[in-house]
Amino acid sequence: MNTPFFKYGLFGDDVSLVIAFVIGIGFGFFLERAGFGNGRKLAAQFYFNDLTVFKVMFTAIITAMVGIYYLSVIGWMDLSLVYLNPTYIVPQTIGGLLLGFGFVIGGYCPGTSCVSAVTGKIDGMVYLLGIVVGIFIFGEIFPLVSNFYNSTPMGQITLSQLFNIPYGILVFAVVMMAIGGFAAAEWAEKKLGNKIVEP
Amino acid sequence: MKNFFPKLSLNKKLALLAFILGLIAIFAGNPYRGSSVTLDTKELSLIVDKTVDHVSAEELADWIIQGKSDFKLLDLRTEKEFNEYHIPSAELVPLAELNQYPLLRNEKIVLYSEGGIHSAQAWMLLRANGYKAVYMLFGGLEEWADKILFPKLAQNATPEQTTAFEKMKEVSKFFGGSPQVGGATEEVSSKKPMPKLEMPTGGSAPTAGKKKKKEGC
Amino acid sequence: MSSTSNEVQHGPKPYWNPYLSGMGLGLVLLLSYVIMGRGLGASGAFSSLVATGVSAIAPEHAKANEFYNEYLADTTKSPLKDWLVFEVLGVLAGGFISGALAGRIKKTVEKGPHISVSGRLLYAFVGGAIMGIGAKLARGCTSGQALTGGAVLNVGSWAFILAVFGGAYMFAYFFRRQWR
Repeated sequence: MNTPFFKYGLFGDDVSLVIAFVIGIGFGFFLERAGFGNGRKLAAQFYFNDLTVFKVMFTAIITAMVGIYYLSVIGWMDLSLVYLNPTYIVPQTIGGLLLGFGFVIGGYCPGTSCVSAVTGKIDGMVYLLGIVVGIFIFGEIFPLVSNFYNSTPMGQITLSQLFNIPYGILVFAVVMMAIGGFAAAEWAEKKLGNKIVEP
Repeated sequence: MKNFFPKLSLNKKLALLAFILGLIAIFAGNPYRGSSVTLDTKELSLIVDKTVDHVSAEELADWIIQGKSDFKLLDLRTEKEFNEYHIPSAELVPLAELNQYPLLRNEKIVLYSEGGIHSAQAWMLLRANGYKAVYMLFGGLEEWADKILFPKLAQNATPEQTTAFEKMKEVSKFFGGSPQVGGATEEVSSKKPMPKLEMPTGGSAPTAGKKKKKEGC
Repeated sequence: MSSTSNEVQHGPKPYWNPYLSGMGLGLVLLLSYVIMGRGLGASGAFSSLVATGVSAIAPEHAKANEFYNEYLADTTKSPLKDWLVFEVLGVLAGGFISGALAGRIKKTVEKGPHISVSGRLLYAFVGGAIMGIGAKLARGCTSGQALTGGAVLNVGSWAFILAVFGGAYMFAYFFRRQWR
């Protein structure tokens, strides 16, 4: 078995759009199941009341990471065919800070705001409008920031290459960090009076 | 120990599962297959036989005119030749440097050289290194010059040939070529200067440093 | 954990165990990698939308701009005929299905008790705009950069994850009135 299927030319662009839609349904479904359509629940992460965001995000990351790792090790997936977003470390860090700032003001991120809007939250709909305007602003100022946007390029690089640590050991380390984080999160929620946000 | 596992809460079971999978990962090895790929010679010969490893000059011209940016065009000739003329949007990669050239295995790569030999060698090299989507420009630059830059219409052409030629004329002009009607057949093409390099001005030719559209967010 | 009794089945159902929904999310992401060789995303779809809009109103202006042009470069097809656009349409559908099954679809404004509706909506708009700018600067959002890149140990993605949490915790205090 050779995966990723698309990169081996098993189907074309048009079929890939159908797949995109189906995968999107799964994505949206689990986001909503987790409670990510609710701005209060998302924001509560940053006041230590409800650490669902952290738990869901890192569970998702380690699930996919472990899956990709094992599929590649047994030879079912060619990891070198998987798209890796190139790293531009400084603009990405600054962008991340801005995103965190926007998150705590607006209460959503782009993906969750879609789920929020479609389940009737008016703030989610307004937030979506905000994203569109924000991207428009970015587009308009792009000539001014393009130098910064393209600064500190590091190419397509993984942590394994950066620190020169075997990939498998990093997988273990990330899993351990996540489990430790989850234990700490459960403890913190109990300690701080468990103000889990329910719908 | 027997009833240890069922007694755990769901969350702890999941954590235990994650821990075990993580622990095995330490010893499971490198997920990248590296360069020791075995060549499926049968598959290769099938590809060669069906000539699906080829891109015709017309196809490539179409892609460039339409501004398609999902492929990388590599020129395998020398720097001098490259500076004299190259197909718009091509990047110069001498054959010897091909192995060090930053290419992604998931990129569509189109190779061309003067004739076809160098690109065929490079094609094999890349396939052996696990690049899947590698194509050669059929007939190389010679064919490109004949078909795209200086297309000819024979005097005794059929109507089909004429309509095809009319279409080709536009394409040729886009690349700064000069289509020829009638005239003696063979010797006209013998020595035509290649068009100047800055020619693809009109239309929506991709800019030199064209970027692959992001697959990320 | 929150296996509350099922006696009262009015009102919306509780959210799932975060680890189970996280695993679901991770498996969807894994599936995307297996089938497509790429991860998920969200903000890119909105970029295509914005680029299409700008190009419809001022085509010359859009063409001259490197950022828009990246989404418009391939003139063989509409920029809206894009993988991420269809994926986000799926997200909308999936979110609706899940919300409908759990009885959580309700016209409302999520906010803390100490802020007016219009105040909350203003914040949502401004937050969205800042997020839009940040996501483009970082070349991705929480889906496209954090989740997707995090799972393949992408350097930029992990720097981004730390920065997002760092940024949010740094500023959370100043906006507490909105939520608590």
